[in-house]
Amino acid sequence: MRIFRVSRQAGSALWSQKGKAFLMLLGIAVGIMLLTAVVGLSQGVEKRISEITALFGPRAIVIQAGGGRFGGPGDRSASSSTLKLEDAMAIRNRLSERAVVAAAFVTDDIPIKSGDTNAQTDVMAADPNFPQAYDWYVASGDPLDEDDERAMSRVCVLGATIARNFFPEQDPVGQRIMINRVWFTVKGVLTSRGTNAMGFDMDDRLWIPLSTGMRRVFHQDYIRNIRLNVRSADDVAAVTDEATNLLRDRHHIRTPEEDDFRLRTPDFIAQRVRSMARTTELVGAALATVALIVGGVVLMNILLLSLSERIPEIGLKRALGASQHDIFAEFLAESIIVSLMGMALGVLLGLVPVFLIPKLFPLMPMAVTWRTFAYAALFSSFVGGIFGVQPARRAARLDPVEALR
Amino acid sequence: MIELSGIEKTYHTGGVDTPVLHGINISIEEGEFVALMGPSGTGKSTLMNILGLLDRPTAGVYKLAGQDLTKLDDNKLSTIRNKRVGFVFQLFHLLPRVSVLQNVLLPFLYTDPYPTDARDRAQSLLKGVGLQDRMYFKPNALSGGQQQRVAIARALVNEPALILADEPTGNLDSVASQEILEIFDRIHAQGRTIVMVTHEAEIAAHASRVITLKDGCIASDEKRGS
Repeated sequence: MRIFRVSRQAGSALWSQKGKAFLMLLGIAVGIMLLTAVVGLSQGVEKRISEITALFGPRAIVIQAGGGRFGGPGDRSASSSTLKLEDAMAIRNRLSERAVVAAAFVTDDIPIKSGDTNAQTDVMAADPNFPQAYDWYVASGDPLDEDDERAMSRVCVLGATIARNFFPEQDPVGQRIMINRVWFTVKGVLTSRGTNAMGFDMDDRLWIPLSTGMRRVFHQDYIRNIRLNVRSADDVAAVTDEATNLLRDRHHIRTPEEDDFRLRTPDFIAQRVRSMARTTELVGAALATVALIVGGVVLMNILLLSLSERIPEIGLKRALGASQHDIFAEFLAESIIVSLMGMALGVLLGLVPVFLIPKLFPLMPMAVTWRTFAYAALFSSFVGGIFGVQPARRAARLDPVEALR
Repeated sequence: MIELSGIEKTYHTGGVDTPVLHGINISIEEGEFVALMGPSGTGKSTLMNILGLLDRPTAGVYKLAGQDLTKLDDNKLSTIRNKRVGFVFQLFHLLPRVSVLQNVLLPFLYTDPYPTDARDRAQSLLKGVGLQDRMYFKPNALSGGQQQRVAIARALVNEPALILADEPTGNLDSVASQEILEIFDRIHAQGRTIVMVTHEAEIAAHASRVITLKDGCIASDEKRGS
């Protein structure tokens, strides 16, 4: 194909002036490097979001006591006693056909002890719906049930880490463990869930009946959170609205006032994570754009400058049968080839922060996907194409008679 | 084979019209070796450029092998230039960054379809001008005479009907000039049509016909028995 022969000419012309070609591709390489980093960040954010969503539960809604911002202070402060068991009951009555609803009272750093083993851990006092609400079931033994709830039984279900640490050599089921100086019998052990997105071990906790926790261990009349597991993914938004309105009603909150509870869905968390990365992404994208434009202008000017040295060559090629289109194609190909080489260098340089930054800052996720390469190829050939037009047109329009003189 | 009738060329520069050719009528038969002579500035080069389809006449008709070329667009003219015209320049015009062989292959960049025997043809032409052991040299490693022989091989590689040579020996010493002229004689003997611009009567003596231009007109046109 003629276009390949002409492109090879372009390649050989570039090879013969490597130093100049390197200068031409430098700006584009910087632009593509930034682009690679930005795409790496946004891909990393999306990956992180899907991990969080999977761990959080894609159809889960969590209502927590107390207002305030996500991730802000006051998350577990004692003052947040706004959520009552009756709220959970009301939600369950209204929505039980569309979602599994579980209320829980959560406390952290509670001393537990068995034999010679001591630890401090999170205690989750939850109603019998929690396995369905959390999609989290026992691996051995039995779950906490309605009878335990009614009787305020001193029974518990262990997370996998606690089971391993406290009962490494025997079956934990049926063993006794002291929680906050009250003796409990182990009823079951949950399946392992591993660490969450923030690096906490989800298995380092144990579960007791809600009634036992509220009245027998911690003596509180409020709950910490209500978790809903919506049956259909399409219904999450509607259930969210309904639960919000119901709680605002029950708490007598009028329109301009802020909620005294916080309601989280995977979508909400995804938006939060995205918005945290957005500024960085925007700044990076702006820098990448500027660098690509500057790189393109530099490329164009070097091509225009080097044109004057190559006038005899252009004249010769015209005499040998090159049409204006051929000359145009050859010079445009030079520009695009330089841009693609700039892309290759830029992607290589850009992958360094993509791999390094997550190691240095674990909260800054980075990922490489096919998009990294697709965007780099798209933008670099676009820049090469746009900024190569002017030099290529000038080369093609040279009068062959003048050029040969 | 070549028919020029009423060819005129006027350059417009800075609002001033400079007439260069005034109604040239020439008819060249296949196999003729024409020397184009005349003092500087009489339009020899302009006429060559028109013959080589690098320039268009302001008026007049140019027919090559019966085809009127005056109305064709750049793409068609380029194709004809590629397949039917071979150029030899005074300053050789080799591409310095590629080998001698690649230089000879250059015209095929613009030939569709690409001939499968392109390399063989280039190599045998280089052998024909005695450069078989210089094929992979860069042009600047060659003497002027050798470079001009490469240029002649390049001009011949696409088997053109017409060879245009613009003072091909103008930059060479007498020994090298002699070699080049012998090659042109050989090409002529093979039946190719040659038009050569020259200042020197000695060189013109190799031609079968001498056309002399003066002030943009044909001053004389002599054929010699060969």
